[in-house]
Amino acid sequence: MVKYILFILITATSLFAQDSSVSLQRDCLACHQLHSIPSQMIYRRYLMKYSSKKIIKEKILDYLKNPFQENSIMPAQFFLKFKMKESSPLSSKEMNMLIDAYIEYYDVSKKLFTPKKS
Amino acid sequence: MVLHRTLHDKLPFIVDKPYKCALYDIDKNLIFATDTSPKQLQKDEEYYLDNSNIVHIVEIDPYYLGVSYLLINVPINQDKITNLQIMIVLFMLGAGFFFLLIGYFLGRLFIAPMRDSITTMNRFIQDTTHELNTPISTILTNLELIDTLYECEAKKEMQRIEIASKTLSRIYDDLTYLKLNHNYNRDIRVIDISALLKERLLYFSSAIQSKDIELVEYIDQSVLIKIDRDDAIRLIDNLLSNAIKYNISKGRLETILTNRKLTFIDSGIGIENKDLKSILNRFRRANGSEGGFGIGLHIVDQIVQNYHFTLALKSKLQEGTEVTITW
Repeated sequence: MVKYILFILITATSLFAQDSSVSLQRDCLACHQLHSIPSQMIYRRYLMKYSSKKIIKEKILDYLKNPFQENSIMPAQFFLKFKMKESSPLSSKEMNMLIDAYIEYYDVSKKLFTPKKS
Repeated sequence: MVLHRTLHDKLPFIVDKPYKCALYDIDKNLIFATDTSPKQLQKDEEYYLDNSNIVHIVEIDPYYLGVSYLLINVPINQDKITNLQIMIVLFMLGAGFFFLLIGYFLGRLFIAPMRDSITTMNRFIQDTTHELNTPISTILTNLELIDTLYECEAKKEMQRIEIASKTLSRIYDDLTYLKLNHNYNRDIRVIDISALLKERLLYFSSAIQSKDIELVEYIDQSVLIKIDRDDAIRLIDNLLSNAIKYNISKGRLETILTNRKLTFIDSGIGIENKDLKSILNRFRRANGSEGGFGIGLHIVDQIVQNYHFTLALKSKLQEGTEVTITW
């Protein structure tokens, strides 16, 4: 019984992860790629300024809800080249899910590794 | 910083052995570790010991890769610590020996003038004592002869000569006592200190009279103590001569002798409190108004120590001094 519940939970989680990853690609990154807006660089700037995933999430959410220059991590010059995004029609829940997926996508801890010496 | 700039899919984090590293974000959550570091950074100290490892936590700003704390863990190399301890001990010993040598030579250099003056003083005393005895004895003997055989008109002048000669004689005795450094054979036996004290008071009677000092005697009869007679004389003579010498004209001198103690109370110039402790030192004189070498109380102190007596000094400036020997 326990194994059965565990199986359902793991399957549901991976499906959800897969689903959120697809949503991220569709709702966020697709537009970034289309207009060559460097999403990785933006994440790097968030990381360098706030360090904590919790704070980064708060700041991105704040920007998505109120997309103004003062809420953005990018400098004013950045918006000379790229236009300011419009207010998102997504709900808070959806935004939260997408931000989690965005942070997960660029998560440094998953990229770091210790090379084995030959 | 390089890893941060690229942010590729694979970020190699190279750490040389035997170091271990862990990266934490600003909330102290683990980002990455080369070993089994805790998920949450617990400590706030910059350095701490973890079993046999030294852990160093470095705060990082700006937060490249989101890293706010870098934890470096290195096993303690006991051999190096032992070597360092040995080096420290050797250095301390070397430095200690070096400073001891320097101190010894500087000390010798600084006390050289004092040592020279003490040597000169001792040599002077040694030479003087040789030459003093015969003329003093001659003067005293002839004074006694004149007093016995002839009717001399100059009684006062004769008395002054007698006092001066006796003072010289006493100084001679003190100097001899010091020169021999108490190494002569003592003849310690029970003596009647009451009789001896009276005899010495008589010896000093001329000096007491010349200063018109009122002598008050409370002397118990036949007080016996075990002491060398010459030591007892030196003890009494020095205390008495001080009580007379530093007394005021028409002053008062109380001599009290009981079975347990001998006390002299004078109405003299007194000694300052700060000088009371050092007054027993050799060549130490609290007051330069009267002549002397400053060896009297030093001799008294030596005798008191030799016989395990106790010496108590009480004094008030311009009021007088009380010296008590207890046995």
